[in-house]
Amino acid sequence: MTATLGARPAPGRGRARARHRLTVLGFMTPAIIGFVLFFGYPLVATVVFSFTKYDLINAPEFAGLDNYAFMFKDPLFTKAIQNTLWFVVVLTFARTVFALGVASVIARLKSGVGLIRTLCYLPSLAPPVAATLVFFMVLRPNGGPFATVLGWFGLDSPLWFSDPSWAKPGITAIMLWISGDLMIIILAAILDVPQEQYEAAELDGAGPIRRWWHVTLPTISPVLLFGIVNSVILALQLFTQAVVAGSAGSGSADSTGSTKYLGFPDNSTLTFPVYLYTQGFRYFDMGYAAAMATVLFVISFAVTIVLVQRMRKGSAAEEGGPGA
Amino acid sequence: MRKHTRAALLCVAAGMATALTLTACAAGKGGGANSDAAAAPGKDDKITLTVWSNYADREYEEVTKALKTFNKKFPNIEIKHEGSQDDDKITAGIRSGNTPDVALSFTTDNIGQFCSSGAFQPLKPYLDRDKVDLGQISPAVRDYTEYKGNRCAMPMLTDVYAMYYNTGMMSEAGISAPPKTLDELFEDTKKLTKKAPNGDIEVAGYLPTMGFYANRPTILAPSFGAEWATPDGKSALSTSPGFTEMMTFQKKLVDFYGYEALERFRAGLGQEYSADHAFHQGKIAIMMDGEYRTAFLKAQAPQIKFGTAPFPTWKPADYGTAFTTGTIMGIPKGAKHPGAAWELIKHLSFDTDTIVGLSNAIKNVPSTKAAMDSPKLEVDEQFRTFIDLAKSDKLKGNPVTPIGDAHIKAVTDFAVAYTSGKVPDLAAGLKEVDKNIDDQVAKSGK
Amino acid sequence: MTATLTKPPVDVSTEPEQPKKPRDTRGILTWVATHALGLVLGLMFATPVLFVFLTAVMSDDQAFTSDLWPREWHWNNFIGVFDKAPLFQYLFNSLTYSLLATAGMLISSIPAAYALAKLKWRGRNVAFLLVIGAMMLPPQVVAVPLYDTWSSLGLTGTLVPLIAPYFLFDAFSIFLLRQFMLTIPQSYVDAARVDGCSEFQALVRIIVPMAKPGIAATALFCFLFTWNDYFGPLLYTGEVKEQWTLSLALATFKGMHIVQWNSAMAVTFLTMIPAIILFIFAQKSFVKGITFTGVKG
Repeated sequence: MTATLGARPAPGRGRARARHRLTVLGFMTPAIIGFVLFFGYPLVATVVFSFTKYDLINAPEFAGLDNYAFMFKDPLFTKAIQNTLWFVVVLTFARTVFALGVASVIARLKSGVGLIRTLCYLPSLAPPVAATLVFFMVLRPNGGPFATVLGWFGLDSPLWFSDPSWAKPGITAIMLWISGDLMIIILAAILDVPQEQYEAAELDGAGPIRRWWHVTLPTISPVLLFGIVNSVILALQLFTQAVVAGSAGSGSADSTGSTKYLGFPDNSTLTFPVYLYTQGFRYFDMGYAAAMATVLFVISFAVTIVLVQRMRKGSAAEEGGPGA
Repeated sequence: MRKHTRAALLCVAAGMATALTLTACAAGKGGGANSDAAAAPGKDDKITLTVWSNYADREYEEVTKALKTFNKKFPNIEIKHEGSQDDDKITAGIRSGNTPDVALSFTTDNIGQFCSSGAFQPLKPYLDRDKVDLGQISPAVRDYTEYKGNRCAMPMLTDVYAMYYNTGMMSEAGISAPPKTLDELFEDTKKLTKKAPNGDIEVAGYLPTMGFYANRPTILAPSFGAEWATPDGKSALSTSPGFTEMMTFQKKLVDFYGYEALERFRAGLGQEYSADHAFHQGKIAIMMDGEYRTAFLKAQAPQIKFGTAPFPTWKPADYGTAFTTGTIMGIPKGAKHPGAAWELIKHLSFDTDTIVGLSNAIKNVPSTKAAMDSPKLEVDEQFRTFIDLAKSDKLKGNPVTPIGDAHIKAVTDFAVAYTSGKVPDLAAGLKEVDKNIDDQVAKSGK
Repeated sequence: MTATLTKPPVDVSTEPEQPKKPRDTRGILTWVATHALGLVLGLMFATPVLFVFLTAVMSDDQAFTSDLWPREWHWNNFIGVFDKAPLFQYLFNSLTYSLLATAGMLISSIPAAYALAKLKWRGRNVAFLLVIGAMMLPPQVVAVPLYDTWSSLGLTGTLVPLIAPYFLFDAFSIFLLRQFMLTIPQSYVDAARVDGCSEFQALVRIIVPMAKPGIAATALFCFLFTWNDYFGPLLYTGEVKEQWTLSLALATFKGMHIVQWNSAMAVTFLTMIPAIILFIFAQKSFVKGITFTGVKG
């Protein structure tokens, strides 16, 4: 019985299996239809466009591998990839760890939990453009609150969005500040950890930190891995915050998140999606944008597969683990 | 497994077929290009003309008022003005067949694309049929509303750029007249700059940083006599001495301030679209900006006494030149009432009273000579500079390319790299940027 | 076995760990440290939002300057924005979009997540990969073919293109719900099957109540994402002002060369209020953890 746990017991095997398949189909049908319509079709269209010259107005013309060839000549393409990869590595790690940290602290609070929880979540409720602009004001090197606090310790504030080396860390800081959604998810998972597991660990003599490391973390690992994948995707698609931070840094912030000067400063905020959007919708070269999108998709999908393999190992251990 | 693979392949094939069909349908939509001028509507025709623009708030109200003056000629045409529509919307609209009849765009950088792709319909048939005298509009303004001889847009008012200077600070520094040459500008900058004891900049005479506020290479180019294209259409950054001078002048200024100190100062300045603008705050003494700034200064910073003058030039003979760009109007492909749309565009392009009224309302420069000479035009001392520049034959229009503003970005990036000391060889560097721009133009195929 | 399983899940309200009164110094120090940290975090997070509010009450001239504290308090900015833009209409549209999208998401995503988490079927792993893959395509590029399709159906200028997809497929929600459902011990599901439940009954009667925290969280995110969605409504309803959502209202407060920051921030703050209220109520659902007592024997 234990070996086939999870599979339906099957007397009259054929009929039961057919019923099982029908159930799965029933549950998955809307998703399948939606997937084909809203993902499969645009993906195929994108790949098709990538082999064309398409100015969005006239019908696409076949252009072979021209778009892909141009990528190698394009210095901004390389910069865009570098910027996005930077975010994939740094933002993923920072966001997951930060959300985990904050959630862990909140989970331990005895009084004022509701208030602190709400305060920590507030920023992610703000519209993205406004959130970025306000954070830009907070980080302002001359007279902004953050700079003032640094001044108390005798430190000079970095120039943040006017300094190519600090612009991406600045954007990361913004993303951390609005990571309330991941924080709440992790918090919910932490709170779901069965009480007796803590009790058992305590009986074994584990202090709070060891309990956290050996009980909390493993139990919430599916949600942590969700956090990692979610952060990777966020990093891969980072658009609004990069555009708004760049526009504010160049002195021409707009309440709707458009910019006169892309990628300011010195193309350090030119993420892949921003450049892709520019090529497709500002320079009217949808073919090239589609080629870029295809490249992004291929790379991302490869990253996905790696992550999901890890997740499957994790959840396989889960299913065979406690509660079985 | 085989069953699944076959099903999967069928799905993909079906998906591709659908995708190609739908895309071809959508892309080809919007009606064919018209080579004939559509007839003007009759006096009694009841039509609804849809106009899209990116105006919002108060400017939206004023432009709507101006649009409504059209009803004097055509009382039965209802005009529906949708604001906050940017170029993305216009393009999406054309693709989907849901276009306005008249599109107003702030982005003259897209004219090359709009004209060459047919997104904006060619206006030549209408101009010829109605025997329109384009001479009312200055050559520079005509330049930025057409591409390679194909006129697909008309200007709606224009923007002209010139120098603003803080008269209080000038007299404090003992400068009797605004600078006319770049050398004078440099000297005046030195006199007007104030530094704190620890070396931090408190007031900058003239802030050169490319990309900041209105410091765009396109706006600065006329002052340096810089040409964007060679006669055979290639990028001329390395061949036109104006660009080399532009970079050199930039670097001279940045070195005077010190790159780090300048960046630190600049990072603390207010946003261009707020009342915190550095000039409003008296943190910069001289700047380049458009004529609209006069209105904002008067409203938001009445304590700043300022004057306007043509921007200093490299060669004295060029003095009196300026850069112009502006809002453009076109008939998008697939418009339902092109004939009526043209009448509206014609009205806004040439009806002196309407142009003057709108100019007074949103403080842009009128686009026709008649309007500029009109006694009803409200011109004060500071605004006069811009009118004079607009009438001059030294006016230069926004260079039109099929690559949007990619060339502007390329030059701005290069200027930043060069002034921060990252480019050892100026000439070679400019050649590289030329190549990049030429590659992009080639890629666009237009 | 059955006896243990039919025991109703224990409801632990608010605090997860039984508070041991900190009688010892170490305990007190930990308490102080944790709460100090919590307070600092809370303030850190809240401060920028405070600035949204402060900017909203500034005068036209002072808004978005380097001043942090309003010189004058223009409370009527909050009223004034209602004159400048039909905010109630936008509010209605935002609610329509967000509520319907969330409802659609719940209907379509919960079964799909369950199938991916708890049912075994060939192709499940591929399907899961595809779900995640669907999140990998940049939305700007996906928009082009989709927009063309919707316009050939004549549905641009409405909220339909925004809402309809949620009734079929929302990758983020499916993914998140799946992860939450994975943390539900398999034994509950198996026992339900042994008891003769169909999968659907198992889903509705057992899984959904157990996954309530996860479902509540997912619903909240779906609501908030659609609530703050700017580019979607801009693309599909941009030219029909009556269909605008609140997020688009920000586009109303700018001119060609000027942005009215105080009005923009006032609208931003007003937009946040329903979201904050929703959050305060919703967090009770997923913070009330349901502790599994496990299956013994």
